[in-house]
Amino acid sequence: MISIRDLYKQYGEHQLFKGINLDVSRGKVMVLIGPSGSGKSTVLRCINGLENFERGTVTVDGIEISAAGAGSYDRAYEENIRKVRRKVGMVFQQFNLFPHKTVIENIIEAPTHVLGLQRESAVEGALLLLKRINLAHKIDSYPDRLSGGEQQRVAIIRALAMKPEAMLFDEPTSSLDPEMVGEVLAVIRDLVTEGMTTVIATHEMGFAREVADRVVVFDQGEMIETGTPDEIFSRPQKERTRTFLSRIRE
Amino acid sequence: MKILLRISLLFIGLCALLVWVAPSSAGSSFDEIKKRGYILWGSDAEGGAPYVFPDPKDPSRLVGFEVDLANAIALELGVTARQSQNAWDSLIPALQRGDFDIAMNGIEITPQKQETVLFSVPYYIYSEQLVVRKDNNDIHGVSDLRGKKVGTLSGTVAQEILTKTEGVDVKVYAGQVEPYEDLAIGRIDAVLLDLPIASYYGKTNPKLKYTGDPVGEGFYGIAIRKSDADLKKAIDRILLKLHSSGELRKIYEKWGLWDVTQKGLAAKINPSEGYIGVEESKKAPLYTFFPMLLKGALITVAISTTSMMLAVALGLFLTLARLYGSPLLRGSATGYIEVYRGTPLLIQLYILYYGLPNIGISLSPLLAAFLGLGMNYAAYESELYRAGISAIPKGQMEAALSLGMTKTLAVRRIVLPQAIRIALPGVTNDFIALFKDSSLVSIIAMVELTKTYNILAASTLRFFELGLIAALLYFMMSYPLSLLARRLEARMKQGAR
Repeated sequence: MISIRDLYKQYGEHQLFKGINLDVSRGKVMVLIGPSGSGKSTVLRCINGLENFERGTVTVDGIEISAAGAGSYDRAYEENIRKVRRKVGMVFQQFNLFPHKTVIENIIEAPTHVLGLQRESAVEGALLLLKRINLAHKIDSYPDRLSGGEQQRVAIIRALAMKPEAMLFDEPTSSLDPEMVGEVLAVIRDLVTEGMTTVIATHEMGFAREVADRVVVFDQGEMIETGTPDEIFSRPQKERTRTFLSRIRE
Repeated sequence: MKILLRISLLFIGLCALLVWVAPSSAGSSFDEIKKRGYILWGSDAEGGAPYVFPDPKDPSRLVGFEVDLANAIALELGVTARQSQNAWDSLIPALQRGDFDIAMNGIEITPQKQETVLFSVPYYIYSEQLVVRKDNNDIHGVSDLRGKKVGTLSGTVAQEILTKTEGVDVKVYAGQVEPYEDLAIGRIDAVLLDLPIASYYGKTNPKLKYTGDPVGEGFYGIAIRKSDADLKKAIDRILLKLHSSGELRKIYEKWGLWDVTQKGLAAKINPSEGYIGVEESKKAPLYTFFPMLLKGALITVAISTTSMMLAVALGLFLTLARLYGSPLLRGSATGYIEVYRGTPLLIQLYILYYGLPNIGISLSPLLAAFLGLGMNYAAYESELYRAGISAIPKGQMEAALSLGMTKTLAVRRIVLPQAIRIALPGVTNDFIALFKDSSLVSIIAMVELTKTYNILAASTLRFFELGLIAALLYFMMSYPLSLLARRLEARMKQGAR
């Protein structure tokens, strides 16, 4: 479903990726772990075209974004990125709800303006989703009246309202107070159980072990180890993986 | 506490003393002129031929028949003459304030002016000459002016004649060059002004001609402060002498101003005879000015709101071009903003209204005012929006894009609505500023509130009362906006919504 080939990414003088290869099959869950700045967020942002890259390709469900189109004003390239974004939902660390819109307006904004849905049916769909996360009573609240956990759950619903085929979570619980982490992880767990293709960058090791089909360890832009949760957490092969895991368990 | 009070009382007392002392120290009597060796005479050299104007051969030197006259008078007084530059329509208030000793610049002797200043015996008899374009054949006199646009100068007898003639659309200018230029390019249908002005600016223009005989008869006099009766006596004596010696005639002949009417000067110049040609008019009560001032205020509102709308829309376009446009668009938008912010609005208005006709584009005053203010303020609005947009976190755009929105849609639905909320207090403040800046369009023959005040005050010399009323009107219009701006700012601080 998602496949990354030979990805090179540079930040100014700093070469972050020197040839990343990564595959996520349909219905599978991949968890990216590693220290801050190791490149896990950047991988996610490359997948849905929020970051340009210098070399390589990202393919989502047969649609290819290649490095060649980036930078220049290429219509086909832009069009492909939009197609990919329609298939892949994204949830950010900072929630990024639209502060000038209510919960329901946040959710139906893209369905009505991108998919061209009628307002009524978009609201209907949004309500169903909101009921699932027990926030139906907040539909007319503005984001600044919600707790961080509630905001992140609405952000997940907002992405789901576009009926994506895959979801990307960029450290979805890193900005949350500890007591709210659980409620957000529960929503993600539900999604995974339903078979949503998912890529998560996270520091929640327990959760990673629980939901992941595959775990990828990043360090300084390199994929240093890939394996099942059991392999990575119980029998890490690489010294750098062990160092990272021991530091995080302290 | 007590000491503080005493100090402040002392301070107030000192200020009061200064105010008390100031006028008497500024006033200069006949003796003072002799003592310092020169007489300061106020006049306006801007477009002032044949009265006072820069010598075309040597612009650093002033020439004109009044320059010659001033020199002749000074010679008789045993001093030299020095010109003091002052806008024509505020010569008398400036004289009263003590900026110069006398004012001589084609100032017509009228009963209103005589209430505030003394006048010498007349030194010139003028009449009003109607000027039209060469191709015009239906205007032969003042009676044919119904329904026509007629230009004249602010605070002149010609203006009085025109306002009293029913159905004339009077366009009041501040300088004497502009009405003839506007006449030549067809913005107005005729110009009625004093014969010396008409002879210099109207007759010399190949596109224009005199029509009908000169109308009205009035006198130019030298204005002198009421406290300087001795100076008036001396000047009267000198004028009489210059007249009987033929010196005055020589000066007028040199400037082509001697005509049959001037022969009648002999009778008028004798101060024992009454010489006021203009009919007596009583001091009108203040409320009679309200309809005109209110009409001016309405025009101010209309110009301000329409040009603000243009500024808001054009400013938005400039911002978007600058942030999201192609390199060429981005460059031109940046250039536009820099040029408009880096040059005075006054110059922009002059170029729009008086400059563009040189390349064949003639805008009406209303259109020029609308474009001038709107295009200028668009540059400032654009900067406000840009600040607003940069204040929106990057994540907002990314979230919108990740939901499949195009950049255009994301800007329109997500970024702009939030940016405008941030910019709104600033935009409201700019609107207040534009309100007051709209007074600048009075220079392009647009009769809004400031111009109305200017006209009324110049003809009645009631600069103080009318000024207070005009200022009050401006305040009444801008204060609600200030309140609105403050509320918006308070709301901004409260939350992002």
